[in-house]
Amino acid sequence: MQRSIAVLTCALALWTTGLAGQADLTGPTVQGFIFGDVLYASVEGTDPGFRVGQMVAHANGTLSEHVLFFGELSATYRNSAYSVAMERAILRYEFNDAVKLSAGRYHTPISYWNTAFHHGLWLQGSVARPRAVTFGTPFIPVHFVGAMAEGRIPGTPVHYMGGVGNGRDSSGRGAQDGGDANGNRAVIVSTSIRPSTLSGLRIGGGVYLDRVPDGGAGESDERILSGHVVWDRGMMDVVAEYIDVAHEPTLGGTSRGSSAAYVHVGVRLPGSLRDLTPYGRWENMEVDSADPVFGSVLPDYDAIIGGVRYDLEGLAALTAEYRNEKFDGGASANSFVMQASFAIAVGGQS
Amino acid sequence: MKGLHVLVSRAAIVFAALTSMAPTPVSGQDGAAVAIVVHPLTGVDNLTFAELRSIFQGDRQFWEDGRRVTLLMRAPAAAERELVLDRIYRMNEVQFREYWIGKMFRAEVAAGPKLVYSADMARDLVTVIPGAITFVPVADVSSDSKVVRIDGMLPSDEGYPLK
Repeated sequence: MQRSIAVLTCALALWTTGLAGQADLTGPTVQGFIFGDVLYASVEGTDPGFRVGQMVAHANGTLSEHVLFFGELSATYRNSAYSVAMERAILRYEFNDAVKLSAGRYHTPISYWNTAFHHGLWLQGSVARPRAVTFGTPFIPVHFVGAMAEGRIPGTPVHYMGGVGNGRDSSGRGAQDGGDANGNRAVIVSTSIRPSTLSGLRIGGGVYLDRVPDGGAGESDERILSGHVVWDRGMMDVVAEYIDVAHEPTLGGTSRGSSAAYVHVGVRLPGSLRDLTPYGRWENMEVDSADPVFGSVLPDYDAIIGGVRYDLEGLAALTAEYRNEKFDGGASANSFVMQASFAIAVGGQS
Repeated sequence: MKGLHVLVSRAAIVFAALTSMAPTPVSGQDGAAVAIVVHPLTGVDNLTFAELRSIFQGDRQFWEDGRRVTLLMRAPAAAERELVLDRIYRMNEVQFREYWIGKMFRAEVAAGPKLVYSADMARDLVTVIPGAITFVPVADVSSDSKVVRIDGMLPSDEGYPLK
């Protein structure tokens, strides 16, 4: 474990600080962040205690006027050891605002929360992601390995992103980094409207298609549809998202659908209380028990979450959160979490 | 169609006013206007306010000629920075910082704005960095500065949005 931490520390140091001295305004530059969190969790039915959250190093590099690189490494505590993972590695050529081509490992743009916050816990308005986009919950493929085209349609507030990739791995939880096992490429198309007259508003959605292993020896065609509405300016911070996932066995059978939705609302208090942001979130996930992929591994889920975030000076925040969760319609489980999250900027400030 | 556009714009203004955290409008130093200045070879003479906002927010990252936009931003505490944050970004310093960290984290931009520490530094750098854009108090505009009109208006005009 100590060796893993040492390796990660060295990697982060070389990756970020070693390049951060390139402050030239016209040449290659690197800007980066380290995100992390520590929390105290009291979950009904388990022993309360402190936990070290995920530590993430994120770096953006401008290699030339049109060539960019984005990378992200994480260290996560699992089963008495830290695992280090390459979360994102994207090499992108930007022709202009309308056409940007890239290849690598992405956060799958099928969910707004998945791309907007993901490992950047300090950025999000709660302790954890909604369950539908949590890693380990295979509701959506949170990572995507492949190639993408993206941009903004000229003269419009319409942004698009589309690509092909390997799709989910055999567990359904991760991406296939070393090739596509079933030779059937995953396809994703997402779009969003971000009007400049209503800066802070974003409305969008996406479609994701793949063929995935199901619970038996067969495969199912997977179709994911999603939609979101976001407002993140001024006093209000609202994210509402709906995701529908359907699986149809390739050998015949009925298509089965599961859905997830959440609404997150935060209110930044005015005046002397401006560092406080109370928030609430409602979550629901309904899984068809006959779904050939999810039926045996994903329970239904309902949650009511409430909390308060306190922004400390600099890039740090304290968050207190209460969660009332219900799995498969069973008894409610209550939990309370205190989290300290931070972001450290490396190689440039705005 | 034009009526709809006006209606949407007014609704946007009302909505933004209702949700804004900055109840007191910020104005430039001594009420002076802030000029938008670009690199002399940038092929643009006029920007709509929506285009200006899109550039400053990092949503538009290239000029028409394919040159990448380099945004030069005054460091915190400068009066003209406060004006730009208020009028263009409609954010305070904390929101501005979160905004750019979020943009970089989502891989929407490779870098945030470049910091400059004086109006002189902004005025000088914008003339030597191809594709650069910045803002300076009108009193600091020099004869070799290329000032861009906003919605057809110069800083001296009535109704200019950055004063």
